[in-house]
Amino acid sequence: MNGFPLAPFLLSLQVTAVATLLMLVVGLPLALLLARRRFPGAMLVETVVNLPLVLPPTVVGYYLLLLLGRGGPAVEWLGWRLLFTWGAAAIASAVVGLPLLVQSARAAIASVDPALENAARTLGSSEAAVIWRVTLPLARRGILAGGVLAAARALGEFGATLMVAGDIPERTQTLPLAIYDAVQNRQYAQANWMVLVMTVLAFASLWAVRRFEQRGRAAPTAAAAPQG
Amino acid sequence: MVASPAPSVAPRLAADFTMQRSGFHLHARLELGAEILVLFGPSGSGKTTTLHAIAGLITPERGYILLDGRTLFRRDDASGPIAQRVPARRRNIGYVFQHYALFPHLTALENVAFALRGPTGRATAAAWLERMNLAHLADRYPHELSGGQQQRVAIARALAPAPRVLLLDEPFSALDAAARQRVQCELAALQREMQLVVIYVTHRLEDAFAVGDRLAVMRDGQLEQTGAIEDVFRYPATQQVAEIMGVPNLFRALVTEVGPEGTVLDWHGLRLNAPPHAFEVGRTVTAYIQPEDIKILYPDRPVMDAVQHNVVAGRIVESSLRPGMRQLRVCLTNGHEIEVRYPAYTYRPLNLQVGEEVRLSLRKEALVVISHAHEN
Repeated sequence: MNGFPLAPFLLSLQVTAVATLLMLVVGLPLALLLARRRFPGAMLVETVVNLPLVLPPTVVGYYLLLLLGRGGPAVEWLGWRLLFTWGAAAIASAVVGLPLLVQSARAAIASVDPALENAARTLGSSEAAVIWRVTLPLARRGILAGGVLAAARALGEFGATLMVAGDIPERTQTLPLAIYDAVQNRQYAQANWMVLVMTVLAFASLWAVRRFEQRGRAAPTAAAAPQG
Repeated sequence: MVASPAPSVAPRLAADFTMQRSGFHLHARLELGAEILVLFGPSGSGKTTTLHAIAGLITPERGYILLDGRTLFRRDDASGPIAQRVPARRRNIGYVFQHYALFPHLTALENVAFALRGPTGRATAAAWLERMNLAHLADRYPHELSGGQQQRVAIARALAPAPRVLLLDEPFSALDAAARQRVQCELAALQREMQLVVIYVTHRLEDAFAVGDRLAVMRDGQLEQTGAIEDVFRYPATQQVAEIMGVPNLFRALVTEVGPEGTVLDWHGLRLNAPPHAFEVGRTVTAYIQPEDIKILYPDRPVMDAVQHNVVAGRIVESSLRPGMRQLRVCLTNGHEIEVRYPAYTYRPLNLQVGEEVRLSLRKEALVVISHAHEN
């Protein structure tokens, strides 16, 4: 077992967990909005959310540099200095994974019968309660599937992460970056380990997604958690 | 089950509102007390939209909705501000949706307890399941219940928070006859017990007769006629109502004579005596006669006074048996067909086969001339 790179592995888990949380916090309201409300600019919002699917990761990374870097809104308005920290890696992973969560969650929410939401309203539920007690529980399989897929994508993020977080061992070097370094330095034993771990996690994610999509009732009610 | 007509109950729910829907303009004007009003009409006539507006699920353009003196909605001008709009969750109106809309991720008990809180809420929900004979199915999920059971869970869920009004949208369309009858009886009993204001939407006339006190006929977003069910059925105010109600033997005829003893109609060459009406001669009117009110005359017996009017001849073109009744289609000498219905045990001596000639009496008193044939 010698040569297993524990530090990048743990860092990847941490980054993926935070990125998944970010995606859920941003993605679920977006999915609800896109599925249930008609508003001007809905197409635009959707297209912007989906852009990272087709843009080169370096382009996404460049935009993030503008947002997070010196003179960008994160520093100027919020005072967050995130560049070249694992926080930047988490944000980059979240941006790249977000479209997968939003698409899946939006489809799941749109397929919830509006009559059920109306039934909850006539039974005294506020709009928030309708979402919490009816819409989200009924859409949970699609949300879980999207969450797992997005988390898997976040775990594998490379390009944008490299641009905004760099490749600092023990601090921002996640598994995909560590693999690149290991191969560059001809440390094939380490590379093999990490490639195996990534493959197993990716396989398990896709397997889980299929299970969520297939299973009828009795899916676990826990929120989508990162694989690990 | 025959519901007693309740025309004089004190009004509790009053609604008068309009809204523009794709395809038609809806104008609903209803006033009802603790009774069951059947909102009847073909699909797409605006019945569900009316219920949605009363429940607060959609917002009318203009008008008002009052419940027990409380304003649920008011807007005096379609382009002006909404003076009052109580959200659906605060209206205290129970709603039974067309396909029940039970929450599929909750058990029967959890469905009924949805609007209730805490352990007392669960106890209330359990009591409701008991009341609907569903206690043994409390832990089943909706997909594990039959259509009738789902229906009763939906009613229990709507009534558990003790609403003042119950709205039902095509509630029994998916049930078989036996289950339908049971739930209908249950509903009528609950209405009396809880003094509920009930609006019951259906496009099935049988359902209307089974549960309703009064009937409101809706077509293309307009309320055509409101009244006791028997009255609306027997005396439809317009040809449209008659057609919607499925009144058979509807025809158009020309008024040829008007007098104190009666009106004489010309139905494509057939001279028919009808009760007196204030029509001018030469006007075209719509008239009908119920199939049960047509008598078949025995050729070898003298024609009695009661049936001496409107004796017409025709040939049987179709004969079918219904529960306890036989129904004939007879082609009259003027080329039109009419339906004749009589108890299966009568007219035994007559040879009433397809192709046989018969003489019919269209009793004068039973010949209904619709008074507003040209109004809308």
